[in-house]
Amino acid sequence: MQGSVSNALRAISFLGKIPLSTAALLTGGARFPRRDFGRVALQCSALALIIVVVVNLLVGAILAFVGAVQLIKFGAGVYVADLVGIAVVREMAAVMTAVVMAGRTGASFAAELATMQTNEEVDALEVLGLDTVAYLVLPRVFALTLILPLLYVYGCIAGLSGGLIVAVSMMNISTPAYLDRSVEALTSVQFALGASKSLFFGALVALTGCYYGLYAERNAAGVGLATTGAVVSAIVGVIALDAIFAFCANALGV
Amino acid sequence: MEAAGTGPVEGHANVPATDEPLLEVRSLVMRFGETLVQEGVSFKVEVGAIFAIMGVSGCGKSTLLRQVIGLLQPAGGQVLYRGTDYWAGDIAVRTKLRSGCGMLFQSAALWSSMTLLENVCLPLEQLTKFDRGQREARAAEVLGWVELEKFGAYYPADLSGGMKKRAGLARAIAAAPPLLLLDEPSSGLDPISSKHLDDLILDVRKRTGAAVVLVSHELPSLLAIADGGIFLDADSKRPIAHGSPKELRDHPEHPTVRAFMLREDLPAQQGNAPDPNRREQAKSSK
Repeated sequence: MQGSVSNALRAISFLGKIPLSTAALLTGGARFPRRDFGRVALQCSALALIIVVVVNLLVGAILAFVGAVQLIKFGAGVYVADLVGIAVVREMAAVMTAVVMAGRTGASFAAELATMQTNEEVDALEVLGLDTVAYLVLPRVFALTLILPLLYVYGCIAGLSGGLIVAVSMMNISTPAYLDRSVEALTSVQFALGASKSLFFGALVALTGCYYGLYAERNAAGVGLATTGAVVSAIVGVIALDAIFAFCANALGV
Repeated sequence: MEAAGTGPVEGHANVPATDEPLLEVRSLVMRFGETLVQEGVSFKVEVGAIFAIMGVSGCGKSTLLRQVIGLLQPAGGQVLYRGTDYWAGDIAVRTKLRSGCGMLFQSAALWSSMTLLENVCLPLEQLTKFDRGQREARAAEVLGWVELEKFGAYYPADLSGGMKKRAGLARAIAAAPPLLLLDEPSSGLDPISSKHLDDLILDVRKRTGAAVVLVSHELPSLLAIADGGIFLDADSKRPIAHGSPKELRDHPEHPTVRAFMLREDLPAQQGNAPDPNRREQAKSSK
């Protein structure tokens, strides 16, 4: 019980340092490693694109399969485009991209920072008087928060393409008909909702990875535990946050 | 109980004259949670001295060093840099005081994503107003002092243990701090590399005039370079001897000091049985 309270206080303290360090950065009171930012941005964008596209393509195809079975019974097979389009753009592209990034980049952040902690590299930064949150955490948080919405766009395209492939190849729906239905079903509000969710998911995944990494125990097992904790917490957090978004969107009639 | 590192050496142009000791530790108390590690730790380090923190494994030597540099807050007592209490000041004061220290960590703690040159340049970027050219020139100079001038473009993973230690020393001295803290500088090194590092430490003191506080188990190193010191006891959890390693070797008054310095077995009543508190301390320190 005492451990849980102290962990919660530590997490709150960590979150409190983010705006303080951001303010210090903006006022020139902290150092921002631009090269690290570039490296991390590359790591979580171009190098992650293939896996994001593949996962979302398959999710779109699976949605089309599942939807088609039910819709064909009612002679409404063409509406599979509506089902896939809305599900992908509003929910699945953002969630699946965030889950992939939690397993890939969030884990990498946790492992990298935990290893730095074990090797006393974080202490060496503190001895210099560097703001370690500004130096180590903010580049990662900024990079993933900015990149995840871009990956979400690719995820949407891949998911819609997966649905299209199934619809055209197995349900004899023409490509123009599928695209027409998709355009009709999708609105800019749904796209904006998905994109804004991915912003928050990006920040959540990055913060979780950095938190577990920075507070890892200083041994090899600690690196493993930090990585596992970061991935599990980020995935649970993404789904919980998505549920909150769904609740709010429903309440707002979006 | 108090001890002082002995006199200054020539050539310490970076250290302004002052009446206050460069570093003074007063009645420091170290704890991990409820577990007492050490108490009543007091010593002074004068400009240009090489001061050794000695003791058996688990007695709190590295913890003391981390409290001196400000990485851990002591449970009691004071750490004073030229008379200014480190922990009594706000974060700006502490950062300023800490900028006068360079530290070589036990693992060298080189930043693995940076080359050696970048590792040495970062303290200069943070602590000096040098432009990029000046920083790189100074970094190349100190890498030359530790005979790594040809390895500036290498990453830490490409270096041997001894080279990492030397690179860590170069990083610690780059901004010419008046106080150097060295945590087990010779650990894991072969005798030749260890001797080489000892010579480098003496050379750095001669070049910069920096005072050095080092934690070490290596008797040959301690005897070769330290001119003052304190011996921490894990059983009584207090310092049990003060003086240079040579003095402690030649006139060991406490049985533990004698056993340490002369590589003898401890008398039976001293007890080598595992101390549960020490085990807890080791666990907490992770």
